Amino acid sequence: MSGYGEDRGPCESIRDELAELALGVLSGRSRSEVLRHVESCARCAAELEQLSIVADTLVQLAPEIEPPLGFELRIAERLQEAATAHRPRRRRRASVLAVAAVVMVVFGFGLGTLTPSHNRQPALANLTSADLNSHGHVLGEVMVSAGSPAWMFMTIESGAWSGKVTCEVTLAGGKIETIGVFKLSGGYGAWGVPLTSPAAQVRSARLIAPDGTVLASAQISV
Amino acid sequence: MRKDRNRDGDEISDEALLSGMAIGDERAGLVFARRYQHRLFGLALGIVSDAALAEDIAQEAFIRIFRHAVVFDARRGSVASWTLTITRNLAIDALRVRRGVPTAPDDQMFLSLMSTERLPEDAALAADALVEVRSALADLPIDQRRAVLLAAMYGRSAAEIAHAEAIPLGTAKSRIRVGMAKLRQAVAIEEAT
Repeated sequence: MSGYGEDRGPCESIRDELAELALGVLSGRSRSEVLRHVESCARCAAELEQLSIVADTLVQLAPEIEPPLGFELRIAERLQEAATAHRPRRRRRASVLAVAAVVMVVFGFGLGTLTPSHNRQPALANLTSADLNSHGHVLGEVMVSAGSPAWMFMTIESGAWSGKVTCEVTLAGGKIETIGVFKLSGGYGAWGVPLTSPAAQVRSARLIAPDGTVLASAQISV
Repeated sequence: MRKDRNRDGDEISDEALLSGMAIGDERAGLVFARRYQHRLFGLALGIVSDAALAEDIAQEAFIRIFRHAVVFDARRGSVASWTLTITRNLAIDALRVRRGVPTAPDDQMFLSLMSTERLPEDAALAADALVEVRSALADLPIDQRRAVLLAAMYGRSAAEIAHAEAIPLGTAKSRIRVGMAKLRQAVAIEEAT
C-alpha cells in the first residue's frame, strides 16, 4: 500500500511503527526513534500524515449523545472564568502552545496532555512552564510535559542571537543531557522535542551558543 | 468547513468561532460548545462509560479548545478532528488515572463500531471520508478491526492489546499496522475519486 516494499534500511522497520505513532499509542523509546526518523525522511513523513488522517477520522466515528441537563450553563460559567483568567501572559504562552500543538498534531498526539500545572483538575495536570531568562530579562518560555515520553517545548521571542544553538537540560543529580541543536532566526525560535529522561528529573534548561556562551536559562520544577 | 446549525449560530463557520475564541470571546466558545457538545460528550462517554466523568471531560475539552484556539492550524486537519482528538486524549488520560491498567471495553460505542452494519445515512454521503473509513472498518477482519479500534478510540498500545487479547506482541502490532494500511488505502481511493 505504501509502495516502499523495495526499500531496505531504516524505513523498513520504521514503517511498521508508523500506524501506532499516528494512533498516539507508540511508547517512549520507539516513539522517539520513529520521530527522529520521520524528521529526516519525507516519504515516511508523508505516510505518517496519511495514517494520521485515518486516525483523526476514526475518532469522528463516535456516536453523538445528549449531555446531561445543565451542561450548557456549566460550560458557559467555565468559559467566562477561562476568558478572564487566561488573559495574562496570553501571547507568550500561546507561542509555546503553538509549538506544542504543531508537534502534537503532526505526530498524532492532540492536545490532550497539555494542562497547566495549576489546573483545577490535578489528575489531568502534567505540564510545567518556566521563563527562559538572560541577565534578568525574560527571553522566552519552556514547557515540560510529563507524559510518556516527556516532551519539552520552547519559544524564544526576544533574543538577539541568530544561528544554531544547543539546548541542554540538567537533571536531578547534576547530569547534563543535550536535547538538540536548533536554529534561531532574528532572535526568534520555537521547537518541541521528546525527552529521553523523565520530566520529573529535569531541573533546568539552557541555550548555548556554538562558542559555549550560555544565551539563556530556565529553572524548572516539575 | 462546517457551518453552525444551531439556533443562534447563524451560519458561523467552525474556523470563525475558533478565531473568536482565540481573542477571548466566550460567546464564540459557547456557540462552539453548543455545536459540538453531543459529539464530545458521546465520545467521552463511549471511552469512559461514566456520565459524570464524561461530562467533566467534555467540559475540560471545551475549556482547552477555548484556551488553545489560537494555535489551531486548518492545514493540519479539520476543526472536528482537532476537537475530538483533544477529547479522546483527555478521556484516555482520565481512564488511566481511574483504572490504572486498562480493561477490555464492552461499552455501547465499542460494540457499535465493531458492528459491520452500514448506517442508513451512509448511502447518501458516499463521498464522505468518514463514510469511507466506516465502510472500510466494517470490511476489516474482526481481529484487525478490534485492534485498530482499541488503539484509535481507547488509546491502547500494542502491548496492552497483546495482553488483553492473549496474543503475541508482534501479532498485535501486525493487526494494527495492516488494519490501518487498509483504512488508509480506503481514504486514498476516496480522495482520488
